[in-house]
Amino acid sequence: MLDVRNLTVRYAGLTAVDDLSFTVARGEVFTLMGPNGAGKTTAFNAIAGFVKPTAGNVFFQGRNIGHMAPEQIAALGIRRTFQNNGILREMTVLENVLTGLELSTPSSFWGCVTGWPASTRAERGATDRARAMLRQMDIAALADRPAGDLSFGQQRLVEIARAMVAGAQLIMLDEPAVGLSPGDRLHLGQALRELAAGGITILLVEHVQDLVMAVSDTVLVLNYGKKIAQSPPSEIRDNQDVLEVYLGHG
Amino acid sequence: MFAQLIASGLVNGSVYALVALGMTVLYRSTTIVNFCHGEFFMLGAFAVLIPLQTFGFSYAESIVFSLIFLFLVGGAVEKILMRPLQHAPHISLAMMTIALSYLFKGVSRFFFGREFKPLQPLIQGRPIEIGSVILLPQDLLTVGFSLLIVVGFFFFFQKTQTGKVIQAASQTPRGASLVGINVPMLRNLMWGVGATLGAVAGILIAPTTLVYPDMGAHMLVQAFAAMTLGGFGSLPGAVIGALSLGMLENLIGGYLSSSLVEITSYLAIIAVLIVRPQGIMGEWRQGRG
Amino acid sequence: MDEPNMTTTLAAPARGSARRIGLLVLLALLCLLPLAINDYLQFVTNTMLVYCLVAVGLNVVMGYLGQLAFASAAFFGIGAYAAGLSMVYMGLSFPVAMVIGTACGGLAGALVGLPALRVRGYYLAIITLAFGELMRWVYVHADTVTFGSGGFNVPAITFFNAHIGDKGKYYLFLATVVIGVGATSLLLRSRFGRAFVAVRNNELAAASLGINVNRTKVIAFAWSGLITGLAGALYAALNGRVTPDTFGISQMLMHFAIVMIGGLGSLAGSIIGAVLLTGLPELLRNFPGLEEIVFSLLLILVLFLMPKGVGGFLAGHIPWLRERLYREGKDA
Repeated sequence: MLDVRNLTVRYAGLTAVDDLSFTVARGEVFTLMGPNGAGKTTAFNAIAGFVKPTAGNVFFQGRNIGHMAPEQIAALGIRRTFQNNGILREMTVLENVLTGLELSTPSSFWGCVTGWPASTRAERGATDRARAMLRQMDIAALADRPAGDLSFGQQRLVEIARAMVAGAQLIMLDEPAVGLSPGDRLHLGQALRELAAGGITILLVEHVQDLVMAVSDTVLVLNYGKKIAQSPPSEIRDNQDVLEVYLGHG
Repeated sequence: MFAQLIASGLVNGSVYALVALGMTVLYRSTTIVNFCHGEFFMLGAFAVLIPLQTFGFSYAESIVFSLIFLFLVGGAVEKILMRPLQHAPHISLAMMTIALSYLFKGVSRFFFGREFKPLQPLIQGRPIEIGSVILLPQDLLTVGFSLLIVVGFFFFFQKTQTGKVIQAASQTPRGASLVGINVPMLRNLMWGVGATLGAVAGILIAPTTLVYPDMGAHMLVQAFAAMTLGGFGSLPGAVIGALSLGMLENLIGGYLSSSLVEITSYLAIIAVLIVRPQGIMGEWRQGRG
Repeated sequence: MDEPNMTTTLAAPARGSARRIGLLVLLALLCLLPLAINDYLQFVTNTMLVYCLVAVGLNVVMGYLGQLAFASAAFFGIGAYAAGLSMVYMGLSFPVAMVIGTACGGLAGALVGLPALRVRGYYLAIITLAFGELMRWVYVHADTVTFGSGGFNVPAITFFNAHIGDKGKYYLFLATVVIGVGATSLLLRSRFGRAFVAVRNNELAAASLGINVNRTKVIAFAWSGLITGLAGALYAALNGRVTPDTFGISQMLMHFAIVMIGGLGSLAGSIIGAVLLTGLPELLRNFPGLEEIVFSLLLILVLFLMPKGVGGFLAGHIPWLRERLYREGKDA
């Protein structure tokens, strides 16, 4: 599904990501971990098209996406969430999720402007799909509230709903557990496992340990931009190098 | 002809420099672009005219009145209209300055109608010849004064303790208030100073352009062009941009066509923003708290 | 506070049809208006209609896309000149001239959208102002085509060789405005309108959802130019005369004031603002400077008391005025 080869990102004299390689299989939940500044967010952004790789390649379903723009990457079926709120504050929850269907709504410009039936039907279809998604995530009650008014945890759920509504095949989540209560985290973990069971691939950047352990199939630990460990979560806990990274240089 | 064009350009440019400097000072301390700065320029000229011609005060007294008046106006604008909005989105602040521009223009139009009033130059006298260049005494005064103010400014901001403190406070207002600097008072002061600078420019150039309610509008654009050309927010940039613009206008007028002079500033703005948006000196940005 | 949301969701369809009925009643009343007013008031009303379109056009870029662009006076002028000149030189009928004015406005909009991709904030405001003044210079100096600073007269509007007066123009304007505002409303409720707001709120998030940010911006500008160009064409017909002076900074400030007072992001507000601020100059036309003083005091008042504009203020109190994607005005 996702094949990262020798990814290197350098800027301002700093090597943020250093020769990183890993593969994510279909339906796998793959987590990037590491201390602050380890380069996991940079790697994430490079894969999602928001940062240009200095060297190396990223392949998605065999296609080289390393130098594509974010909207092109989205068109291939990849969606991502943001660490510091990618929510669209001045839209309602429903509209936020509807925006997730931008690429899946076949309404044309002139069709929208003139109220052409085909376009109107397309828009209505999108609204129905969005509402269904809200029901599935159990946030239908929030549909008409401005997204900016919600609590942080609720906003996270909306963002995830928005990422999932178009049937993306790879969903990338940037520290989704931040600001969530333990109950919400459990809820999130369950949702992610359900998605993965349905064949959706998930790439996670996270440092909240209990979520990582509960949800991941594979964990990759980064430090100073380099991979220092990659294995199922149970083995990571016993890995000496990892322990040193987290306990040693603090 | 070239020397004459350059010389005249520098004269005009020094006036633009005063206005641009005032606007830049305000921008640096408040991060808003003051769309009514042209009206400070206009009010400065009117504020000399009224005591001089209506009340019979001497020129010197009228000038003093104008400077003090504009200083107070600037301060009042800050305290009454800008300060309450300081936490509002930027667009509201921009709008407020636009509304003020309208207000000042309306008020002066209400009192003075469609007249273009003349103002005699500070220094009368015969034109002075320097080589192949002919300049009026007022021109030399303008350049001299502007030079004095610009140099004074730089000396103040770069060399004195107070000046450096003010610079720091503009750059990081939150940090400044933490250290006990009275940021609101500083802001008020900057508005007063900015307005006064505009007034000085108005007084200097009014003899040439005549005094009328709309005289600030074009000056605003020229000041914008100067700031954009030199690097928005940069003090030396404002001066360099202003002088360059003055010379550019004259050169274009002299060598290409006089009808192009009025749009030189617009063309300069468009060209700079497309080719090198940060201008000659590069942009200045306010740091975080 | 989750319970009220259920009520809101359920009430939505009911609210929708109440709104539709209200609009139809309003439209019917508007059709009867010419019978009740004299010629002078008719002229003022026609002017209000033109500015409704202008406000809606500007609101698309300023309110929805969220960019401080001061080019609407330029689009207005381009529409007026394009429509007027095509009637003068090519003897075209007014409806065709309207289309030409609209198309030219749209093209100009797209053109202005391009620098908007590179610069933003105050820079964009200044560069668009510069564009407007540049156009005015062109009108004055390309006088072999544009008739220079004196301007030109627009040929009388005829309908099957019958001369149309102000009352006749009213129905044409009304129909045009209803179509223009209606189309804009449909656009803003579609995925394109959502794209505008998405780009305004969070460009990165918008891109991550597949929205082409650059194309979205250009589309918003093009539509704004199109609507404002159409308004310009109407304006040419309204006054029978097109002069360069009309389309300068004062015109731009009026557009800006209408949108800000009416409410950014509110179509109803745009209409209210247009009606309010078009009526005022007519009342104050004999007193130099008074128009500007009243405008600016209104603007200042609105800034202090009604930051969301008159439209927003009313929407806060009258639920059925509330529009979707109403701009909260928190970020600028």
